[in-house]
Amino acid sequence: MLSRSAQGVYWMGRYLTRAQYLSRLLELHVQALVDRSVEEIHFGWRRIYRAMKRLPPAGESWLPEAEEFALADSFTLADDLTFERSNPDSVWSSLELGRENARQMRHCISAEMWTCLNLAYLRIRDLETVDIWRTPETFYAQTCNEIHNFVGLADATMYRSGAWRFMRLGCAIERVQLAVSLILAQAELGRRMKRRRLGWASMLRMHHASEAYSRRYGIEIRRGRVLDLLVGDPLLPASLLSSVRAAAEELEAIETGPDLEADAAARRLVGRAGALILYDWPEARDREQLLRRVDRCTRDLHGTVLDAFVDYGIQDSPLR
Amino acid sequence: MFVAQGVPREHFRAVYEALRSAPREELETIQERVTRSFSQEGITFTVCGDEEAEERIIPIDCVPRLLTLAEWSELEAGLVQRITALNLFLGDVYGDCRIVRDGVIPIDVVFDCPQYRLEMRGVSVPNNTWVAVCGTDIVRTHDGFMVLEDNLRVPSGVSYMIANRKAVKAGMRRLYRTCRVQEVEDYGSLLRQTLTEMAPGGRPDPSLALLTPGTWNSAFYEHMFLAQEIGAELVEGQDLLVNDGFVYMRTTAGLRRVDVVYRRVDDDFLDPLVFRDDSLLGVPGLLNAYKRGNVTLANAPGTGVADDKSVYAYVPDMVRYYLAEEPLLKNVETHLCRRPEDLEYTLDNLEDLVVKRVGESGGYGMLVGPHSTPKERDEFSELLRANPADYISQPTLPISRSPCLVDGRAEPRHVDLRPFVLTGAQTRIVPGAFCRVALRRGSLVVNSSQGGGGKDLWVVDL
Repeated sequence: MLSRSAQGVYWMGRYLTRAQYLSRLLELHVQALVDRSVEEIHFGWRRIYRAMKRLPPAGESWLPEAEEFALADSFTLADDLTFERSNPDSVWSSLELGRENARQMRHCISAEMWTCLNLAYLRIRDLETVDIWRTPETFYAQTCNEIHNFVGLADATMYRSGAWRFMRLGCAIERVQLAVSLILAQAELGRRMKRRRLGWASMLRMHHASEAYSRRYGIEIRRGRVLDLLVGDPLLPASLLSSVRAAAEELEAIETGPDLEADAAARRLVGRAGALILYDWPEARDREQLLRRVDRCTRDLHGTVLDAFVDYGIQDSPLR
Repeated sequence: MFVAQGVPREHFRAVYEALRSAPREELETIQERVTRSFSQEGITFTVCGDEEAEERIIPIDCVPRLLTLAEWSELEAGLVQRITALNLFLGDVYGDCRIVRDGVIPIDVVFDCPQYRLEMRGVSVPNNTWVAVCGTDIVRTHDGFMVLEDNLRVPSGVSYMIANRKAVKAGMRRLYRTCRVQEVEDYGSLLRQTLTEMAPGGRPDPSLALLTPGTWNSAFYEHMFLAQEIGAELVEGQDLLVNDGFVYMRTTAGLRRVDVVYRRVDDDFLDPLVFRDDSLLGVPGLLNAYKRGNVTLANAPGTGVADDKSVYAYVPDMVRYYLAEEPLLKNVETHLCRRPEDLEYTLDNLEDLVVKRVGESGGYGMLVGPHSTPKERDEFSELLRANPADYISQPTLPISRSPCLVDGRAEPRHVDLRPFVLTGAQTRIVPGAFCRVALRRGSLVVNSSQGGGGKDLWVVDL
């Protein structure tokens, strides 16, 4: 397929996964605003901002970290993460960019996928802010569902060509990066705030893993068990291992790129990330360090994929 | 629509009855559904403002315009005749120039035309087809069908023809069935067939690419739609490169040869090595590959000389000259202001004429005399005197009107139609057209950039 088209659907996958992931995070967090302690709420905001590598709207580098989130109310923070146009990772920015990539690559996706995404975009665009903040959890849940529908429609209607593979590769790489960032943010904050047990239940909910956890381990939430499930369980669709395997599977199905070196490097990187989780994770002493290595692998993977299939030098390329 | 007060034409009776008997709310619901389907499916055109581009939906009227199969056949024969003559004309003016040497067309009309491309002299094209895709603007007056202009470069609007059909068909199922409407869905496969026939050296199963200026082009939706319909890669200039006289596109598996480029980029921007050197939309070396016969460009560069507003006046003469036939489709009477007597006539009758600038399109640079103010006419008089060769004038035509749904009731609005003529080894036309409508009451300007909209054209077998 055309390199630029591959790049377009790859980014479409990444942006929509980002919009969905953040919507899910925010959905759970605004639900928590109703009955959780202030400490827990602050912890949740800090975790989200840390995972998104962003400062809160009223946050300044000179402020003590604990006070960054005291200056802005929850709706300001939610708005910053949802609709702020200057925030490239906000739900709206991600959805808009995902939709724009889809618009440009409509010939690579099915008509049903495009209509589904366009309707979601038009719905959100035409919403009144007041109505959204009346029941924000409904808004986030609906946005999540719409992207779920999009993915489902892709599964049911999209031709299994290169476009399908590159879209799924984008989704998988984004899922790994977001999940690693969130797990690291959770672990680091817990350590720094000396509240190591806080927030793990919501991590399970975030990754649709609560039922799987209770079936496997019972109702007591333990950090190590949660981590094992979220990182290394091959049966949990949102686990790191599942996402890395999905990336490997897609890469395997894509025809070798013209830049053979970059192509081989991409396949090595995804293999290394998988091996780190599968073989090193269970015995790892410094698990945060290991997650950082997985994170580095997938970030390098992103650049290498583009080198192999999109930005390759034409002098080495075979003519067909 | 009517033969006498309140008496509809026979073929329009079913639509007339449907409009008359349907409650206002039902018609409004159909109209809303049609408009909503365009919005939901993102059938838009892009308008670039000062700061950012904006996606807009072309206003679509849900009441179809109707032609009978007999009327269509008459039109079709005229279109085939006309495109045949135009292709012969292009081969001639880039070859021996017999038509000029024989004095049928003045030499300056052809060679002073900015769209005449010297670079195309002596180039031969597959099947002698210069214009593979033509969109001819047709109006209907009391004298029958007339050609308003031939669009031979990168005519657009065909996607709206198909989208209008889909939306209106869904909204008026019963009526559609009753009228036995001719289908237009084959357009994509006919276009593919046409482009395949244009492959260099008759290469079987050629690789097709549709070259678009990019996502911010107003017709990007159409480019995407057509690429999908014909199974071509939708490429931008940056996706293509020329190596050793062949054109390749960058794919995820390496460079892949391109045989036919259906280009939707204007001549000026096609190849920065030959045309505008500041073009970022084209492909360096493309014209060289084309001249070597390694790739086909459809339409060929330089076709603009045949749809120039001055050359337009000579199309009936071309038909007589090349085909030895009388033109089946009339031209609108045209005064070339480059001729002193025509200039004088135009200046004396500005109030009654439509004055058009030769190089403009889209309804820009024109004066509609009957709707103009004295100040506008004074300004145009000065422009005409300063550069008479840049202008033509035509009488204001009593062009036909078709019922449109306005505020829940039917009102007449002026319409034209643009059928699309495909020519590869043979000429093909789907029985339909992009029908443009001047939505403002009394307006004659149908261009979407000037408040125009669209409606479906039904060729009915009644």
